[in-house]
Amino acid sequence: MSEKKSVGSLILGKWNTKTIVGIAIGAALFAVLMNFGGIKIFTNTSLTTAMIVDVIVGALFGPVPAALTAFLGNFLADLIGGWGFWFDWSVGNGVLGFFVGLIPVYAKQFDEGVFGVKEIIIYVVTVIIGNALAFGVVTPLLTYLFYSQELTITWGQATAALIGNASVQIVIGIPLLLFIANRNKKSSNLTKED
Amino acid sequence: MENRLFINLKPGTTFLDRLTGKTKVRVFFVLIFLLIATWDIRFIAPLFILSIIGLVSIRPNAKKMTVALIVILLLNLFNLLLMFLVEPDYGLGVVGGSTVIFKITDFYIVTKETMWYFLVRLMKFMATFIFSLTFIQCITPSEMAAGLYSVKIPYKVCTIVSLAFRYIPDITRDFNNIRISLQARGLELDSKRTGIMTRLKQYILILAPLVITSFDRVGMVANAMDLRGFGKLKKRTYYAEHEDTKGDKIMAPIILILLALFLGIVACLIIWPPAFEVWCPWIK
Repeated sequence: MSEKKSVGSLILGKWNTKTIVGIAIGAALFAVLMNFGGIKIFTNTSLTTAMIVDVIVGALFGPVPAALTAFLGNFLADLIGGWGFWFDWSVGNGVLGFFVGLIPVYAKQFDEGVFGVKEIIIYVVTVIIGNALAFGVVTPLLTYLFYSQELTITWGQATAALIGNASVQIVIGIPLLLFIANRNKKSSNLTKED
Repeated sequence: MENRLFINLKPGTTFLDRLTGKTKVRVFFVLIFLLIATWDIRFIAPLFILSIIGLVSIRPNAKKMTVALIVILLLNLFNLLLMFLVEPDYGLGVVGGSTVIFKITDFYIVTKETMWYFLVRLMKFMATFIFSLTFIQCITPSEMAAGLYSVKIPYKVCTIVSLAFRYIPDITRDFNNIRISLQARGLELDSKRTGIMTRLKQYILILAPLVITSFDRVGMVANAMDLRGFGKLKKRTYYAEHEDTKGDKIMAPIILILLALFLGIVACLIIWPPAFEVWCPWIK
């Protein structure tokens, strides 16, 4: 049952139809939650529940699908929400999605329902590193390149986003991952027949 | 809530609607890149006027558009106000001068250059917004996928975009239904009466069923696509992509000109970086 998978294939995820549909629906969910499922705390940023979608897609499909979900989700949210395009933030969210979605890489037996204290600690660390890198480095850098100004406000927004997203992903994310793991455990006593 | 969404599923009949997905996507992206690249009002002002012409030409629902435009205008003005509060003399760094019009306090001075910068910025952002509004109003999800495929994006990614587009209205409807039914059971979602932590907890109550129903669809949709042979071949064609109309033939050279303009602007910015980002008529 537990075949060894290389880290590379775990990062890329399996690109079958299911993954594609999963990413698409994840991106749609991300866009909807970004528009309606948030609580405004600062301009252009809010305590949004959309950040949970990265965690779910990451847990189910891997980091690259999670990154793509977040990037496209943010792009679609910009498109339907109508506040103009912020590619810097889309890319930032993509980077964040990649880090948050690393779950299958370190929790190798997530499919069988193993998600213990060690995995939770790694998860919290990846969330914090991902948020810091995405909104502390990538987004301000791209904002500077694309729009070449207003770094004061971007810093403010980035800090707000960093704290807001990290807390949403930790507070809601951990129970959610335990729930998914638990659901996986229930079905893991079945063996696959060839 | 639904009327805040601008997704169009049926192609319309105006000039922009009748273009192929290929042309729509290319025009849109080249214009957006152009707007991101430049801070020069001599480019931004014509593009701004063009964006308004584009929006009017597709004859959108006037009431919906007015609401959207007012909301976005207020949002932008608020952002500018915030910038002013953080750094009132912003124009000094980006425009290159500081001609005081009047003083509020010693720190809060209103300068001609800052106001000029705010004008340029407002115009730039409004033009970006109006272009994206026009784009989203005149394109259908399948046309968008076809258009993205024509710019050499792998078709699996194009399918993700069009599928996501297709499911946004469904998921919005589910979100609304879940919210309303939870409110009917006595959940208080009014922002004035509940604190942030309570509201966050309440959003989890909405999120759980929404996530489960949304991801339940994945298996079904994936099976349906597999049955139709999705992903078996390297290339694909699109039903939504029709032959070039007269409009596409007119637009093809325009896209090339815009692309050349974009590359020219970027090259100029790299080769001769201007002393100040924003061009201003009274500063040499």
